[in-house]
Amino acid sequence: MTDTSIDRSAAVGFTTSGRILGIARRSPTFAIGFAIVTAFAFVAIFADLISPYGAIETFSRQVLQPPGVEFFFGADGNGMDVFSRVMYGARYAFGIAVPAATLMLLIGVPLGLVAGYKGGVLDEVVLRIMDVLRSFPSIVLALAVVSATGQSLINVILVIGFLDAPIFARLVRSEVLALRSSGFIESAVAAGNPTWRILFVHLMPNAIRGSTAMIAVRMAWAVRISATLAFIGVGIQAPTPEWGAMIRQGAEFVISGEWWVALFPGAALVGIVLGFNLLGDGLQDLLDPRRKATGK
Amino acid sequence: MVVPILLGITFLTFMLVRIGDQNPVAMLGGPMADEVTFAVIEKELGLDKPFFVQFGIYLGNLVQGDLGESWQSSERVADEIRNRLPASLELLVFSVLLGALVGVPVGLRSAQRPNGLFDQVSRFVSLFGFSVPTYWIALMSIFVFFFLLRWAPPPMGRLDIASFPPPDLTGSYFIDSVLTGNWTTAWSALGQLTLPVILFSIIVAAPIIKHTRAISLEVLASDYVRYARAQGLRPRTVRRVALRNAITPILTFIGTELTGLLAAVSLLELIFAWGGLGQWGLNAILLGDFAAVQGYVLVLAVFSVAIFIVLDLLVLLLEPRATLRP
Repeated sequence: MTDTSIDRSAAVGFTTSGRILGIARRSPTFAIGFAIVTAFAFVAIFADLISPYGAIETFSRQVLQPPGVEFFFGADGNGMDVFSRVMYGARYAFGIAVPAATLMLLIGVPLGLVAGYKGGVLDEVVLRIMDVLRSFPSIVLALAVVSATGQSLINVILVIGFLDAPIFARLVRSEVLALRSSGFIESAVAAGNPTWRILFVHLMPNAIRGSTAMIAVRMAWAVRISATLAFIGVGIQAPTPEWGAMIRQGAEFVISGEWWVALFPGAALVGIVLGFNLLGDGLQDLLDPRRKATGK
Repeated sequence: MVVPILLGITFLTFMLVRIGDQNPVAMLGGPMADEVTFAVIEKELGLDKPFFVQFGIYLGNLVQGDLGESWQSSERVADEIRNRLPASLELLVFSVLLGALVGVPVGLRSAQRPNGLFDQVSRFVSLFGFSVPTYWIALMSIFVFFFLLRWAPPPMGRLDIASFPPPDLTGSYFIDSVLTGNWTTAWSALGQLTLPVILFSIIVAAPIIKHTRAISLEVLASDYVRYARAQGLRPRTVRRVALRNAITPILTFIGTELTGLLAAVSLLELIFAWGGLGQWGLNAILLGDFAAVQGYVLVLAVFSVAIFIVLDLLVLLLEPRATLRP
């Protein structure tokens, strides 16, 4: 059964739509994750156009109105439309995850390249710093840093980026160690390439492959942790339509039965995190033939 | 290896709490205080000295078992930790036991037939457990089980208002009251425990399922299992042989997971007003209570170090190949 499906995906692989189908067939996980993330990205980009109300538009007479025709997801304690706010919340999710992931790579990849290629003291220092960061529970560290450095969106992004950079440094470093003594690097050195060129032109494209799946997984984490911080009351504050901050607002109403204020932003959060995680799992399957052979 | 990591963590925390916006002097002095009062408070807290002198004094006290005083409650940090740690551990231990008891068999079963129906479902459930925020699912279950169905007691701590804490034996209200034969208290403690433990065990079980599956798949694909199969051993026997080699990495994984969970449980404590170490630690961080934050992070670090030591010993017991010298 598996054989035929591979044959068919190869046969339809000539057209673009055929290729998409082929990928979807090889890893449904990836396809579902990709679809979810794309849908959220669509909502984030066009939130202005498709949301029925503004993100902080208040309707003082409809405070805590249950979900219905007027407000699909109900209204919150300030009389704001939860549906519109959840839509605008997608902007904050991407607005944190994308820059944070970029930062992780901008710091982690060069660090891993240099540490793996040069070795020595630098390698040792990078490894030790990673050890200390790893033995720290990330939520406590994030919380401490954000509450110490002041509460703003930029700080949340910076903290997440810096906290996760070691993960990529480690991944890239181990790839570089394996590649360092291979033929193409030796010939690049022999041809007289400068070190920076060897690092970024020859090593980087090969060493970064293993990190691709991890990017999606860490983006999922970035969305989660930023929402957690906002829920605790650190970082982004209400009435900003950020999902964690919205759940925080809804928490006090749950016990008196107004469930919708907390339910919908949380569901959106689960959705996007699930999407990123599926994407990561699928990418891993697609890019790592070894794992496919042993298990999957 | 242990000492430099602990020292590094202590220093990092020490630096972090001090570079921040939060200033205990201003909070303690209040809005009406003048410069003189500020100076007095600053001197009392020892914050007028240079940074490294402060760190030296802290380390000196730490070696003697003195963790300082919380300026928020004026209690000794060591006492606070001693009083609150059992509550967190109670939640943690029950959840991890439940999570492992469910997660390991599910992971093993999934590996039996990869991509079968059972595997697909359990993979999805485990991914869901990865993705769902603890505090949100806690709020939603409080709504369903407390507000709608009235099955769960109000999320207000470890006992209902009518019960008194049992004598302190193990620190767990449930176990202590069972041991002393106080059944009404035991029932109340169990009622308060049920919802948070079930919720947290979902969070705990998700990674356990994923890793047990991966480890077990790897073992099942190895040569000796294929040989055992080729010999015509019964599937049950093959599974037992395979399990023997999978058990050590699974245990190691659960141990590593445990180290992060003592911090993760704090969100649940916050929502269920559990009054444990995590809730106290979160508050301390939010208020900039230097000594308390310092103590909290130190407990977390020592806890993970202790787990790793216990793990190493366990592996030594279970694994004939392991020796004391690596």
